[in-house]
Amino acid sequence: MPTAEKVDLYKDNKKEYAATTKPVLIETGPAVYLSISGKGAPGGSAFTDAVGALYGVAFTIKMTRKFAGKRDYAVCKLEGLWPKLNDGTASVNKDDWEWQLMIRTPKFVTSADLKKAVETLLKRGKGADCQRVELLSLDEGLCVQALHVGPYDEESKTVATMQSLAEKHGLRSSGPHHEIYLSDPRRVAASKLKTILRQPVKKASR
Amino acid sequence: MRTLTLNDYKRRLLRVLVHIQQHLDEPLPLERLAEVACFSPYHFHRVFKGMVGESVKEYVRRLRLERAASRLKLGSASVVDIALEAGYDSHEAFTRSFRNAFGRSPSRFRLVRRRVPPPAPSGVHYDESITMRFRTLNRGGSMKVEIKQLKPMRAAFMRHVGPYDEVGETWDRFLTLMGKDGYLGGNPMMFGICHDDPEVTPRVKIRYDACLSVDEDFAPTGDIGVQTVAGGRYAMTTHAGPYNQLGKTYAEFLGQWMPRNGHELRNAPCFEIYVNDPYSTPPEELLTDIYAPLQD
Repeated sequence: MPTAEKVDLYKDNKKEYAATTKPVLIETGPAVYLSISGKGAPGGSAFTDAVGALYGVAFTIKMTRKFAGKRDYAVCKLEGLWPKLNDGTASVNKDDWEWQLMIRTPKFVTSADLKKAVETLLKRGKGADCQRVELLSLDEGLCVQALHVGPYDEESKTVATMQSLAEKHGLRSSGPHHEIYLSDPRRVAASKLKTILRQPVKKASR
Repeated sequence: MRTLTLNDYKRRLLRVLVHIQQHLDEPLPLERLAEVACFSPYHFHRVFKGMVGESVKEYVRRLRLERAASRLKLGSASVVDIALEAGYDSHEAFTRSFRNAFGRSPSRFRLVRRRVPPPAPSGVHYDESITMRFRTLNRGGSMKVEIKQLKPMRAAFMRHVGPYDEVGETWDRFLTLMGKDGYLGGNPMMFGICHDDPEVTPRVKIRYDACLSVDEDFAPTGDIGVQTVAGGRYAMTTHAGPYNQLGKTYAEFLGQWMPRNGHELRNAPCFEIYVNDPYSTPPEELLTDIYAPLQD
């Protein structure tokens, strides 16, 4: 058995996963994610199936590597990119919402690992949505980040405070709205849900 | 379907207390006590402890010590003889236990006038008629419990024999083997079946099955077996927090909520469903759904 310590990406990148309700500017580093894109209302069947596929792939990769004696790591929490949510073009109808669901993954996980996991899941008859899972590299750089406590529907207040901070520093949005789901919405009361909201930013040109 | 009332529970428990009183010198195996109480042996001990406030072992030990106190006061038998009657191998062991319970060594106790018996949550003492106060039943009223009808569940499992706090190692091995073969896709349920009560069975002998729900096409292989958890009526309560606190929730659920709410437990083990992943969830946010099988 390998004696290398188990990798915990959230612990290794503490600043990126700690937030208070007061928005702050943080510098994020490059990160790799398992990701699946889709469209539909959060909590709806397309969304739920995608979450299931993403976790199925994530755990299958992890366990396959573990069985082979490779370095172990914790499967990270669900995150999501919502491209239209902060540029004012999001549809009123949630069924039209597009999202990219992600789970942060160590850089030593390869596309060969992904391919193998999908094949294994297909053999079990659980692969249909899994085939859509991809490896994604993101480098968001400078971001505004804040903790939102409460229902997802009430994020606009938190987003507004983040926008003021950005404007104060002469920054504007440079990438999709990014959410990190710290709480499980199936089990936590809506008013107590904790979600980190992250908005990549860059200098606004005059 | 006959519902059990609190009085039914009390009556059955009183039978056990009387039996213990009458057979205080004999070994009192739990299966026999469960039989006397007409309770499922799986659940008897938790019900006993929940209603009486002490484990069977603690209750019996206390009663034997109280009888010993009575002998010290009312007769002239030697401390050694009294110690042997109370079930202790040695004078020293008896003296230690006695002092813990009564605050004085047996010989000093003999000389002192005022005696305070050791505390009893149920109010039942050796030399009094048995009137249970059931003070401990005041808790358990605020538990959130749902009654559910479950379908039978087919599960792959790995048997763990040993301390409950070491089941993580079995889970690690089990999930690695199942995961690499693609059985962690499709959101399978992960649950544990405790065949033995950690309060009753010696730590190293506890049997626990780490289970993962599977389809008909999964075949047992190596250390991994297959079993079907019976369907039927279940009471379910959610334990929030670290796994090492589960015992308290089980005790309240089976020992206090059950008697108060008119349900009779089926003779089958409980199981616990792990709602979130302990490898990535802080202990205080862990959620475990405990299912107790009920008579239909």
